[in-house]
Amino acid sequence: MEHPILFISLILQALGLPVPHTPVGATMLEKICEPYMTYTWMVMAFLIIVPRLTMGKLEMVPGSGQNFWEVMVGGLMDFCSENLGEKGAKMLFPMMATFFFYIIIANMIGLIPGFMSPTSSLNITLAMTIIVWVTHHVLGFRYHGLHYYKHFMGPNKWLAPFMFLLEVISNFARLISLSMRLFGNILAKEVLLGVLFMLAGAFFAPLPILCLGVLVSVIQAVVFVLLSLLYCAGAMEHAH
Amino acid sequence: MADDRREMFRQLAVYSQAGMSFVFSILIGFGMGWALDNKVFDGKTAPYLTFIFLGLGIGAGFKGLWELTRKIKDG
Repeated sequence: MEHPILFISLILQALGLPVPHTPVGATMLEKICEPYMTYTWMVMAFLIIVPRLTMGKLEMVPGSGQNFWEVMVGGLMDFCSENLGEKGAKMLFPMMATFFFYIIIANMIGLIPGFMSPTSSLNITLAMTIIVWVTHHVLGFRYHGLHYYKHFMGPNKWLAPFMFLLEVISNFARLISLSMRLFGNILAKEVLLGVLFMLAGAFFAPLPILCLGVLVSVIQAVVFVLLSLLYCAGAMEHAH
Repeated sequence: MADDRREMFRQLAVYSQAGMSFVFSILIGFGMGWALDNKVFDGKTAPYLTFIFLGLGIGAGFKGLWELTRKIKDG
């Protein structure tokens, strides 16, 4: 397949920085210049600058910009407190909202030609999943202390060692399936768009996939956050 | 309407995860057994640990599905 044209990589190349053509670069500088890194930074800059510009000063009677962000943040807060309860939602809201905004912008940015979704790289999704995975176990230990091990033992005393192994395996399966689903969906969208642009871009062939891409981007962002919330809620509640 | 959509997303998340966790449980079980056999014990125990852990992986997969059915039944 042809190499996709990525604007940031082109700019970096023009500046004389080494942009790797393999998935993972060899040197430190090449690693930093990988497309998924540079586009992650772009998304971060977007998320810092655009709310600043649109929100302005906070006012009692919100303007259109502030209204939009209030709806987004308020909706997310409701979403969190529905699954975690008021107190847990307040604690986990910053992390989950960050994940949501980052993932949704990162997914959507791949729909524009010349940009790529950082989430179509397993490095990014696995990193996010590891954060969620560690967090939910830390929360479990924080809420139950050492009694957290009861979550892994199942209801029956005699089956406990057996159940422990099963739980460990299914915990690792969580880690992989959460990262793989986001990665697979977004990579499929990217590759499909790339191929259709290459084959019949002049006849608007990618148009239906672009519409589906918007849907997939939103759904995957919501699903990722929702599953993280469910895992955290599962670690915080009492063992059966 | 908003509640319906929220419920839909919730179910989408839970059920789209079910199939993948099943598959990855089996793969991870197999992988753990294989690693124990070939890396830790240098092939002395092959292929027994692979089979035992493959069985555990399949068990973990079915346990996930079983818990999901309990969750639906309890509402």
